[in-house]
Amino acid sequence: MNAIENLNITGAKILFETPIVLFGQKLVITESQVNSWIVILFVAILCKVLTHNMKIRPESRRQIIAEFIVEKATNFVKSNMGERFAGFAPFIAALMALSAFSSLLSIFGMFSPTSDLNTIAGWAVVVFVMITYYKLKGGLGGYLKSFTQPIFVLTPFNIISELATPISMMFRHFGNICSGSVIMTLVYAALSTLSAVLFRWMPGALAQFPFFQIGVPVVFSLYFDIFGSLLQAFIFAMLTMMYISSAAEDGEAARAERKLRKQNKHRKQEE
Amino acid sequence: MGNLELISVNIPHILITIVNLLILFLLIKKFLFKPVQRILDARKAEVDKVYADAADAQEAADRDKALYAEKLENAEAEADALLKNAAKKAEQNSDVVLAEATEKASAMLKKAEAEIAQERKKAVNEIKNEISDISVSIAGKVIEREINADDHKTLIDGFIEELDA
Amino acid sequence: MERAIILAASAVGAGLAMIAGIGPGIGEGYAVGKACEAIGRQPECKSSVTSTMLLGCAVAETTGIYGFIVALLLMFVTPNMFIGKL
Repeated sequence: MNAIENLNITGAKILFETPIVLFGQKLVITESQVNSWIVILFVAILCKVLTHNMKIRPESRRQIIAEFIVEKATNFVKSNMGERFAGFAPFIAALMALSAFSSLLSIFGMFSPTSDLNTIAGWAVVVFVMITYYKLKGGLGGYLKSFTQPIFVLTPFNIISELATPISMMFRHFGNICSGSVIMTLVYAALSTLSAVLFRWMPGALAQFPFFQIGVPVVFSLYFDIFGSLLQAFIFAMLTMMYISSAAEDGEAARAERKLRKQNKHRKQEE
Repeated sequence: MGNLELISVNIPHILITIVNLLILFLLIKKFLFKPVQRILDARKAEVDKVYADAADAQEAADRDKALYAEKLENAEAEADALLKNAAKKAEQNSDVVLAEATEKASAMLKKAEAEIAQERKKAVNEIKNEISDISVSIAGKVIEREINADDHKTLIDGFIEELDA
Repeated sequence: MERAIILAASAVGAGLAMIAGIGPGIGEGYAVGKACEAIGRQPECKSSVTSTMLLGCAVAETTGIYGFIVALLLMFVTPNMFIGKL
């Protein structure tokens, strides 16, 4: 019974509180930050190991894996964003690796940084900045004017939909991972309660031992931790690529339109 | 220390996350993409080089082949010429030999004819002499008169010459 | 008493918010059904159909996720906020 009572679903544990204050909030070091540093360290070491001692003629399996990853990532980015955005491959790979490994941490019972809204908010802000940058490449006037399309009345809705892009990306990723971890917490609590009820007759500490927590959560973990994690990483990367490439297209269209208008003006002046 | 709220916005945390993402981007770019790209480029260069070498070798082989074909043709022509020359020479030689042989044969024939003629002359002369001797002896017996043999001889020679004519 | 009312209202509100899960459920089911049809018609397009379907499902799921977020807020964030002020 006390498993359910002890059940508290909260955010990341604060490990360390610094006196630095940024934007009116204290800079705190939480579990999610530490775990994402662990992930970064792990990915960096993995990269270093995979690319260690590479030869022109591949001899080791590590090198083949490294080449496979790089080629897959490059082709993935090229097929979704076009040839000229091939430079985005490392960024997309970093995003996917960070997202996937962060979510997969929950398999080991660690707090996954992706079930903390702030982590994904950071990524969404980066993506939003990129989208806006590519839209602004078509000129500030064209960018502002695109909010009044198709009619002026829709401006507030356009602004909302523009802001909804990063927010929906953020909440989608966070919601999926967080719902997974909430459900897993509930499952663990329920199983421990169930075993406490069923095995009350056992002597001593065995009565409190949660037998059902062995093996049963694997089925749920398989879906919520592994499938959900990889799927969300894939979807976040995919949406990032789509938003950026469509923003780049918008920016280019605006620039082409401006050029055309300028030419027309010149022609009229000459006449 | 406590926990953050389940859904809370902490701007310093967001900034740290952004920096984390950029750091991981740079790490992946530096430690994974750059080396692999370098290896792939090196491999591509090597493959290009191998292809270029193969093309060069092919060209050289083609050139050699053409050269050999030309040489072979030349050799054939030479052999033909040689053969023709030899045949010509042989013909010439045979002509000369034939001519020589014919000449020799004709010379021999002439010689033989001359010899025969001489023999014949000799034989005729002998016969003449004999006939004259016989006729002298016959005449001596017939006329029973002793005549100087030399006289007789001149007489009979004159007779035989008349006979010849 | 007020605390009990706040907690009850939060729980009811969270339950109501999760009604939003119906929409994505129906929509995604429809999308997956259509994707199955497409794969049945053209099995060679399986991988691209699957990835497009997953992307579409993820986008369609957004409203459900919003509902879930609101439910989480109601369950774990707002009660503490209001109870702290009491």
